[in-house]
Amino acid sequence: MVRAVLRRTLRLLLAAWLTLSALFLVSRASTDPTAFLQATFSNNTRLGGQTEQAALTQRLLGRYRLDRPLFYASWGTATGWRWHGFHNQYHQWATGLLRGELGRSYRQDETVTELLTRALRYTLPLTLLAAVGSGALAFWLALGFSYRPRLRRLGLALLHGVQSLPLFLVAVGLLLLLANPDTLAWFPAFGLGLDSDAGAWWQYPGRTLYYLALPTVSLVIVSLPVLVVQLDGAIQRELAQPYVATARAKGASRRRTVRHHVLRNALLPVLALLPELLPGLVAGSVVVEFLFALPGMGRLLAEAAATQDYPVLLGAVGLVALVRLAAQALTDVLYQFIDPRIRLL
Amino acid sequence: MAGRHLVGPGAAGSPIGAPEISPPDLTSINQPPFGPSHWLGTDSQGLDVGVALLLGARTLVLVSVPATLVALLLGAAMGSAAGFLGNSGGRLPRRAAVAGGLALLGFAALAPYWTLAAAALVPATAVWWLLGRTRWGRQAWGFPIDAAVLGLATLLESVPLLILVLVAVAVQRPSLGGLVALLGLSCWTGPARLVRAATLQTVAQPYLEAARAAGIPGWQLLRRHIWPNTRHVLLVRLPLTVALLVGLETTLSFLGVGLPPDVGSWGRLLAAVRLAPTDWWLVAWPGTALVGTILSLQNIINRRIH
Repeated sequence: MVRAVLRRTLRLLLAAWLTLSALFLVSRASTDPTAFLQATFSNNTRLGGQTEQAALTQRLLGRYRLDRPLFYASWGTATGWRWHGFHNQYHQWATGLLRGELGRSYRQDETVTELLTRALRYTLPLTLLAAVGSGALAFWLALGFSYRPRLRRLGLALLHGVQSLPLFLVAVGLLLLLANPDTLAWFPAFGLGLDSDAGAWWQYPGRTLYYLALPTVSLVIVSLPVLVVQLDGAIQRELAQPYVATARAKGASRRRTVRHHVLRNALLPVLALLPELLPGLVAGSVVVEFLFALPGMGRLLAEAAATQDYPVLLGAVGLVALVRLAAQALTDVLYQFIDPRIRLL
Repeated sequence: MAGRHLVGPGAAGSPIGAPEISPPDLTSINQPPFGPSHWLGTDSQGLDVGVALLLGARTLVLVSVPATLVALLLGAAMGSAAGFLGNSGGRLPRRAAVAGGLALLGFAALAPYWTLAAAALVPATAVWWLLGRTRWGRQAWGFPIDAAVLGLATLLESVPLLILVLVAVAVQRPSLGGLVALLGLSCWTGPARLVRAATLQTVAQPYLEAARAAGIPGWQLLRRHIWPNTRHVLLVRLPLTVALLVGLETTLSFLGVGLPPDVGSWGRLLAAVRLAPTDWWLVAWPGTALVGTILSLQNIINRRIH
């Protein structure tokens, strides 16, 4: 048991490490740092002569440790293979990562860890609310459909339609309908309302909820159809089993049969969606935070991508990969919790 | 679906007759639709929404269909290799592996001096010949193709597609062709898994054993006996992958990354509404077109199955 858990964890960590290393090497190898820095200087008129610029470039390269070779060994057509030893960017980055340091942002004078923690303060409530909301709503809808066949047909047709809506379209539609002074101005169109210091501290969670309502709802709408369709299909399959007839024969109502007998069996295939759901929500938060101007993870990621701020980009992508691995582990635990006969480990 | 009949011909016809890009009409910005000159209205820069829709449809066809073909072909190749060869099917004779490795190492170490590098072939050939005398050298190492393909797919899938493409686009800043290649390279995992499963199912059939026993070579087995049975998986997947890529492409251009700025896109048209929140027509027309396209692509499948 312990060995199996250990092996599994090691494999997951190896996968994460390979992903991050590939990202690091590809992103660093594909841009020339000197040209990159010079391009930023050329817009700056205050920096005068060529020599001054060159000196500044050298200083900045040294500061971000970009003057070192990229990997342990390098290949040049003139020199062949050359061994650089441990004095290289990859080794530096990898040992830093082991110590929990993600480096400093190129653009802002802060460490990546600070930036990520600040962003997570907004993204964590958003994604968790959306996950819990879509899960609960999916349960409610699928259970409701299971004893109302006519409603079920209508609801499933509607959900199939919703499934084809891209997230950004849903968010734009909600924004234009419900946060627009010309139609209905029920919700704020952007931000988190942190600047308006009206109200005491106990109003803070309520106000945050109010500002997060539209982003959360759009995430829920997009992630709901898959969940409902899967859960509904599983419930329909289970309803054809003989034990349902037994339960009905002993006098359990339809509702009780579904809730107490069918649901637990029907949950298993739906659990397989969990490892997709959480990273999908994080990916969705890129779009939603961009549109609603929330300073969260997704926006940090998109901005880091747009400005080629590689340390931030790597940190954010690594965090997303970690979320996926954690969701996978959580799913395995839940499998055993729901059906103790299953031995995955 | 009405959407299919409306959008299908429009999208398919537009790459052939690309409309002349008319200069933005700065005298009539934010025009509501059904006006005299601009039927579908204009955005805040005076760009005609109808022309932008047509240009966007053209981009959609030029990006998502080739990318789908790349993804499906790559997925088919990877999936059938993984399913057919399995973990022991890809065999590499040990002497060839050792001699080849030696030759490569020699080349790499002596690369600046070409004559010396060519001389590295001599000891490699000697090793190959010597190993051929031993029993160990005549046996083969199995290369676990199945595990390799699955591992690669898992690695790619460990980051959500949108984030993966976003990061790759930011690092590379690709052209239109580069974007097609990138989308294809990042979407092959799903088709590959499906084809692998179908191949595994087919390989277990008795007629394949019979064909193997009849001495048909592996390539012929794959071509004549396996692919006819795995093809339908890809055909069913085709419209769904196109729909996925349509959604991805419009999302990317909505976020303002990916496509070069002079290429029109429905996503960019939809993003224009952030500048003019009262212009409902900037959302209504491209939104309807987008939903119609995706819905009809998904509906093709339902028609074919039922």
